[in-house]
Amino acid sequence: MSGKTVIEKILSDHSGEDARAGDRVWADLDLAVVRDFGGPNVVLEYEKQLADKPVWDPQKIAMTFDYQAPAKVVQVANNQRICREFAAKHGIPHVFDVNAGIGQHVLLEHGMVLPGSVIIGTDSHMNLLGAVGSFSTGMGTTDLAAGWATGRLWFRVPGTIKITFKGEYGYPASAKDLTLFLLSQIDTSKTIYKAMEFYGQPIEALTLAGRLTLASMVTEMEGKIGFIVPDEQILGWIRERAGKPVEAVVSDGDASYWEEWEFNIDGLEPLIACPDRPDNVRPVGEVAGTRVDEVFIGSCTNGRLEDLQVAADVLGRMGGKVAPHVRLIVTPATTEVAMGAVEAGLYETFIKAGAMVTNQGCSLCTIGHHGVLAEGDVLVSTGNRNFRGKLGKGSLAYLTGPAVAAATAVKGEISLPE
Amino acid sequence: MSHLEPEGEEQMSEEFVFSGRAWVVGDDIDTDMIYHGSYLPLTDPQEMAKHALEYVPGMEDFTDKVQPGDILVTGKNFGCGSSREHAVITLQYNDVSAVVSESFSRIFYRNAVNLGFPILEVPGIAHQVETGDELEVDANTGSVRDLTKGVELQGAPLSGLEKEIMTAGGLFGYLKKELQAEE
Repeated sequence: MSGKTVIEKILSDHSGEDARAGDRVWADLDLAVVRDFGGPNVVLEYEKQLADKPVWDPQKIAMTFDYQAPAKVVQVANNQRICREFAAKHGIPHVFDVNAGIGQHVLLEHGMVLPGSVIIGTDSHMNLLGAVGSFSTGMGTTDLAAGWATGRLWFRVPGTIKITFKGEYGYPASAKDLTLFLLSQIDTSKTIYKAMEFYGQPIEALTLAGRLTLASMVTEMEGKIGFIVPDEQILGWIRERAGKPVEAVVSDGDASYWEEWEFNIDGLEPLIACPDRPDNVRPVGEVAGTRVDEVFIGSCTNGRLEDLQVAADVLGRMGGKVAPHVRLIVTPATTEVAMGAVEAGLYETFIKAGAMVTNQGCSLCTIGHHGVLAEGDVLVSTGNRNFRGKLGKGSLAYLTGPAVAAATAVKGEISLPE
Repeated sequence: MSHLEPEGEEQMSEEFVFSGRAWVVGDDIDTDMIYHGSYLPLTDPQEMAKHALEYVPGMEDFTDKVQPGDILVTGKNFGCGSSREHAVITLQYNDVSAVVSESFSRIFYRNAVNLGFPILEVPGIAHQVETGDELEVDANTGSVRDLTKGVELQGAPLSGLEKEIMTAGGLFGYLKKELQAEE
């Protein structure tokens, strides 16, 4: 038999079977997470199916409220209450309430995400935790409720595409541009349900924030998970937070890949995904001058401290003021990011520029909360989706990195940073 | 607040054979088009069902005109986007009998299996079948007959673990024995 890919190793380890691409296995879960979106449905389904049956392991269940934080409508307030009451009843200690921020990032910061772990959650971007080598995946109500009861679930072991990047690039291009470049190059009919492993010098050079950006948009590539093998620096960061030894899961040298792709990104330029699809990617220059009404900097894709720092630097370099007709909304991913941004003076930069800095959470990535768009409005966002009408019927959205987003806010039209 | 499981499992044929009229949509229908994010706070499936396919261009009248047993036919990558199970539930509660697609997004595929909602992958089907055609679908063999056009298409039959879960009416039906044994 040939060696194993990362996903085959993780699922073999968690199932006790020799898991190979195409197999169905029942694997043990390390963590099963719900949000305030999806969470109440899971609680109701759990209680409908199992009544008062104790959950499998309260320590391995987490709740993260980031969808509508704090609640705007009574229905969501009720939903959050349903989750809190369930957690209290079952002794679930890890409830990260509406003040915590985006779930996956919060779990990562709290040392609850380890390389090689199996994590499920009610968020289609759970898989961004592949950035540290965790197999994390978004699932529906039934899966979560069954997972809470049994601690294990069925998986189709995906085949793996090995993707190697070559070349060098620098500012103003960023991890977001590498990500959008890849989205524009791949045929999603080939990536549906595939795992990916990312290699090459441009990947090794990525910081944790950059790795999260790339891994988060594997969902838009229709992949199941995208793994980046954590380096010593990232392993050290996780060890410190987890308070225990942590090692990376690496693929075998003779692992059998479904396909192997190589991309040269030498001299990568800033890119932007145009309406209405994340893979409708063009160089920023091609749509420069498009008037915008709103700019959003944040999300699980680009809401880390270094993303906010890049945006603040661009604002400063370009005169420090948002165009009068533009609404700039900045959202730190988590409390830790928000504290970092306060300490670095970024709030002052943003607020003086005319931006609104919201509390940590998913913010504009859902229509559930604030910053929704009028018919005809144009949004430039650092998020990961721009499906038709996502933030308001008849509105358009573009996706790009924080530098282009900040420059666009200053100029009032899609612009490259100075 | 009501619950989310379909009423009774008898609505799904044990034999996985269905006949009904086709509704045909294109490629890359995402979960916001199937069930828009603005309705996520709804938890009553009957209410959720009123918004099925609302954001799919040309399907605005779907919930008014759909009849029990109708079959949704789609292009590639159906159900991409969010992990919301609502996308499956909203079709189930319109009594759609099955979805036949050129390919499914992974999350929709999994949620459909877990809810015992029949799905079938048939290459090229969205280009051969038109809305209103009478279809006969046999998920056991993977065959789809378009009675209106007199053509037969072949896809991948339901099999293995997915078929076992669907036959049990979904994941909880499948796990019933295990969960009871633990008590």
